[in-house]
Amino acid sequence: MGYLVDIFLIAVGAALINNFVLYYFVGICPFIGVSRRVDMALGMGGAVTFVISIAAFLSWTLTTLVLMPGAPVTRWVAGFFMSADRAATVDLTILTYIVYIFVIASSVQFVEMYVRKFYPQLYKSFGVFLPLITTNCAILFACLVIMSHVVGVDNPAEAWGLGKSLVLGFFGGVGFTIAIVIMAGIREDLDLCDIPESFKGAAITLIIGGILAMAFMGFTGVDSGLRVALGGTP
Amino acid sequence: MTDGPTPTERFIQGILPENPVYRQLLGLCATLAVTNGLKPAMTMAVAVGFVLLSANVIISLIRNLLKPHLRIVVFTLTIAAFVTIVDRFLGAYMYQMSKALGPYIPLIIVNCIIICRCEVCASRQSVFTAAADAVGQTIGFGLALASIAVIRELLGTGMLAGIQVLPAAWPSWVIMVLPPGAFLTFGLLLGLINWVDAVKSAKQGRKG
Amino acid sequence: MEEILTDNTPVPSGRIRNSNLAQAWLVLVLALIIGAILAAVQVRLSPIIAANKLNETLEKVPELVLGAGSAATRPSGLEVDPGTVKIEKDGPDSFYSVFHVVSKGAPAGWVVKTVGQGYGDKIELLIGFNPDITAITGIFVLGQKETPGLGANIASLKWRQQFIGKATARPLSVVKGGASAPNEIDAITGATISSRSVVGLVNRTTKDLAGKLAPEIVRFSRQVKKND
Repeated sequence: MGYLVDIFLIAVGAALINNFVLYYFVGICPFIGVSRRVDMALGMGGAVTFVISIAAFLSWTLTTLVLMPGAPVTRWVAGFFMSADRAATVDLTILTYIVYIFVIASSVQFVEMYVRKFYPQLYKSFGVFLPLITTNCAILFACLVIMSHVVGVDNPAEAWGLGKSLVLGFFGGVGFTIAIVIMAGIREDLDLCDIPESFKGAAITLIIGGILAMAFMGFTGVDSGLRVALGGTP
Repeated sequence: MTDGPTPTERFIQGILPENPVYRQLLGLCATLAVTNGLKPAMTMAVAVGFVLLSANVIISLIRNLLKPHLRIVVFTLTIAAFVTIVDRFLGAYMYQMSKALGPYIPLIIVNCIIICRCEVCASRQSVFTAAADAVGQTIGFGLALASIAVIRELLGTGMLAGIQVLPAAWPSWVIMVLPPGAFLTFGLLLGLINWVDAVKSAKQGRKG
Repeated sequence: MEEILTDNTPVPSGRIRNSNLAQAWLVLVLALIIGAILAAVQVRLSPIIAANKLNETLEKVPELVLGAGSAATRPSGLEVDPGTVKIEKDGPDSFYSVFHVVSKGAPAGWVVKTVGQGYGDKIELLIGFNPDITAITGIFVLGQKETPGLGANIASLKWRQQFIGKATARPLSVVKGGASAPNEIDAITGATISSRSVVGLVNRTTKDLAGKLAPEIVRFSRQVKKND
């Protein structure tokens, strides 16, 4: 029960309360660049959600099995070169950033090839966006959030498992999709508005983003209320 | 391809004519996230500057050895390595700042400014030009961050870099240091700069 | 993008290995150099980072246990032993980072580090207790991202001072304006949820630790000098 509440709150938190785009400012480039039409925004959102889930899975797995201090695979490999005690202290966390970025880049490549080959229909709807999202901060950001909940946590009982990491990744992507689709909907109507010449494009998008961020601020604090409503302690 | 803009041109272009934030709209993630105070903004600018300078110099040194399709891999590897160094350095010598900036330091890896400069300048031109380019772009980035951070911190808290500037009676506009303030300030500044440009070019058009 | 993909089109396997290795030598050499640099950085800086993390708490310990004035005077004979303690509960066990404070050979109290959800993000809290965990001797907010000007006031000295001397026998409760009973804490105006989060966190920690925390069950991260 407690676990389900946690999962639910992580999902709500990632998608709405601490929305990736409107609270953490990650994924701003596509938020401004690809938010001109709703169908394109949906495609971009789908691609990001898909890749972010895969990246969340891979980064959690690699962090717990290889990168964090005392990780089983590293300990086993290091055991061949040094005493078991010293092998348990081998710490590869300094490599995390390099590993994450390559995990993201290669999973984007593989997903693109796979989708193009086996799901041409799906590829048409969001495949074209895949190459663009290697440098999307949202994906690396999700990996980093997962890392902060796995490495160096004081209370091992609170360290995230695979389930929570996947939920964060997936719903982070959903939050991105929500934000970019809302923005695209507004911008479609904006075409009919009389905007000062110098504010057209990025400037007005940012200002609308500010108003959206204000609206999303209304969600802050909802999680403590939800936790109490679901029978947990505040 | 060896004949590109000269070092001086590169340096000057980075600051205003090709400002990474206002003109190229690159690195917006950092621009919006760390500008709630002048101190974090300047730390971020220096961090990005260090990574950009190191990456540009290294890429420029090995530019003749680069294979076209391994280019991006080399860029990413170099950038990620220098970002890791910056991250650890901040953790060791500026612990509070590193805690405040949190994930935005590692996110420099996917800051488009750096990979863009490696691609456009460093992989084609000499070390000196690449270094001048990096310094110019960094100053441009720093100025852009400072312009947003000054407005946000001043209106949001009445302080600048943690020192009270406005009279204590100033009713802090808390919204300015919260996420919406970042979007609004940057959006308005961007529009303003576009407008100034438009007015300038209209005047020149009339004269010429 | 097209360019990169066409490079992956099948070539006879012997050739692809040769040419790939031949082409990738630069990446491999670069990876080795970078690996060496990062290893050096790790060896030099990671002890400093770990020390920073610990010092952040250690600096606050005298103030939390001996009172606010003591930070300036830098009391002598104060010994702080960091460690972790496991508290068994129904459900998953809880682990706490605790600091046992010994002043001139006599136990002076405990400082406990605890983390919980606040209004905006996580709140990191240090709580000081007297040696037998019957009273709170102070709290300090190590990290928070509450709303500036409202929730962020949980870090202010004025609000934190309310906790000093509160008994741990009864859970604390938050009231809006005019706390009168000994176990009541005034909410910050406009930030009831942040105030409740902190008080909830304090209550949870006291409930977990009261009557259970003793130097014998703590796994200290360095050898403790025995004073007999």
